[in-house]
Amino acid sequence: MSNRTIGVPAPGVKTEIVPVRGRVVKSKWTRDLLTFLMVVGPGLIVMVADNDAGAVSTYSQAGAQYGTHLLWVLLLLLPVTYFIQEMVVRLGIATGKGHAAMIYQRFGKWWGLFSLIDLQLVNFLTLVTEFAAINLALSKMGVDPRIGVPLAAAGLLLLVLTGSYRRWERAVVFLCLLDLAWFAVAFWLRPPVGELVSRSLIPNMPAGGLTASLMFLVIAIVGTTIAPWQLFFQQSCIADKRLRFADVKWAQLDTFVGACITITAAGCMMIAGNASRLHGFTFTDPARMAADIGSFAGGFFRNAILLLMINAAVLGTTTISLSSAWAYGEVRGWPHSLQLPVRKAPGFYLVYLSCVALAAGLTLIPGAPLQLIILGVQVLAGVILPSAIIFLQLLLNDKELLGEYANKPWNNYVNWTIIIVLFALSLILAAQVAAPNLFPAG
Amino acid sequence: MATMLNTLNTDDFQNHFVVIHPLDDVPEQKVDTTSLGAIPMTRTVRISLMSLRAYLVLMMLLVFYRVVTLAGWFGHHG
Repeated sequence: MSNRTIGVPAPGVKTEIVPVRGRVVKSKWTRDLLTFLMVVGPGLIVMVADNDAGAVSTYSQAGAQYGTHLLWVLLLLLPVTYFIQEMVVRLGIATGKGHAAMIYQRFGKWWGLFSLIDLQLVNFLTLVTEFAAINLALSKMGVDPRIGVPLAAAGLLLLVLTGSYRRWERAVVFLCLLDLAWFAVAFWLRPPVGELVSRSLIPNMPAGGLTASLMFLVIAIVGTTIAPWQLFFQQSCIADKRLRFADVKWAQLDTFVGACITITAAGCMMIAGNASRLHGFTFTDPARMAADIGSFAGGFFRNAILLLMINAAVLGTTTISLSSAWAYGEVRGWPHSLQLPVRKAPGFYLVYLSCVALAAGLTLIPGAPLQLIILGVQVLAGVILPSAIIFLQLLLNDKELLGEYANKPWNNYVNWTIIIVLFALSLILAAQVAAPNLFPAG
Repeated sequence: MATMLNTLNTDDFQNHFVVIHPLDDVPEQKVDTTSLGAIPMTRTVRISLMSLRAYLVLMMLLVFYRVVTLAGWFGHHG
C-alpha cells in the first residue's frame, strides 16, 4: 500500500481539481478491509460505551442474583440494539446532521426543545453516576478519589481537546478494545460450557419463576442496553466523521460488530456476577463484587474488574458528554466538531467541559444524593427513550428526506414491534420507580 | 462525486484501487434538510405524536403521584 495524492473533480464543478489524500491498494479484498477500518468507529464506540458504569452494575447484579438464567435476554437484545442503531446510521449518513438538529427541523421547536432538554438532563445525571463509579472503584484500589476523580476528569478533557476527530477516535477505540478483557475474566470464571450455551439459546426462568423483582431487573437490562444518548451520539459522530453514502454498508458492519462485542461483554459481566454468587457472596455493588471475586480468584481479577469498571465509566463519560455537546451545538447553530480547535468552537467545548466538570464535582461533595440521582436517571430515561425512538422511526419513513435510504416494509414491522415493547417496558419501569406501592413485592 | 474511487485509468494506477478516508475526502452533497420544512402530517405521524403526548402526560402524572406521596399529602410516605 502507498499514499498518493490524487486529483479528483469537485462535485458540481467540471474543471476544478481538488487534491485529496488516498491510499492505493492492489486487491479488492484489501480495498474493502481498508475501507472498513477507515469507517469503523462510531458504531463500535456507541455500542461498547453503552456498557458504562450503570451497565456493569446491572449485568453484574443480574448474574449475582439469577446466575446465568438471563443470558438469553441479552441474545434477544442483540438484534434489537442493532436495528435501532442501524437506522441512526442511515439517517446520519443521508443528512450529515445530528439527531437533535433533525428533530428540530422536521418536528418543530417544541419537540426539539423537549428532546434537547430531556437529553441534557438525563445525560448529566448519568454522568454523575459514571463519576460515582470511578469514585467507588478508585476507593477500593486505595486511590484517594479527591485525586483520582479530578485526574480522570482532566484526562477526559484532554481526550477531546486535540482538535482532531481521528485522534479522539483512535484513543476511544483503544479504550473500547480494552473491554475485551471482560472475555478473559469470564473465561476464567466460566460455568460449564453446556450451561452457558443452553441458558443463552433457550429462554428459561430462575427458581421462583417470574417475580416482580425479576421483571424489573429484565426491564433494567433492556433500558441499560438501549439508551437514548446512543441515538444522538452515533448520528452526530457519523456527521462529524463525514461518512459518505458509499460507507453505509461498512458503517452497518461497524455497528453490528460493536453490538456483538457489547452484548458478549454484558454476558461476561453476568458470568462474573454468577461466579461471586456461586461462592456465597451477596451483591451490593460492582466494586464490592470485584473484592469478593478477588478473595477466591486472586488479586489480579479484583484489580482487573475494578479497572474495567473505571474504563467503562470513562467511555460512558466521554460519549455521553459529547452527545450533549453535539446536540446543543447543532440546535444553537454553533460550530460543533472535534475537527475544530477550541478557539473555533468554544461553545461546543464549553458544554463538554461543563458536563464533565460539574458531574465530577458533584460526586466529590460529601452526602451527595447519588441514590436519588440514579432513580432520576431511570425515570428520565423512560421519558426520553420512547420519544427519541418514535422520532427516529418517523424520520426513517420520511421518503422526502431519505429517498432510497428510507425504511423498507420489513424494517417497519420489526421497528414498530420494538417501539411498542419499549414503550410498555419504559412505562412499567417508570411506574415502579415513581409509584412502587402499585406493585406487589416479589 | 469524489468519494471512493474503484480504479484510476492512468499508467500509474492501472488495476489499483484508491481508498480515501472520509475526513480526507471532498465533502459529499447531502440531503438539503433546511429547505424541506416540517415533516408532512400523515396519519402515522399524527397518531404517533398523539400517542407520545399521551405517554408523556401519563409519565408526568406518575412522577407527580410519587412526589405527593413522598410529601405525605395522602397521609402516608411512599
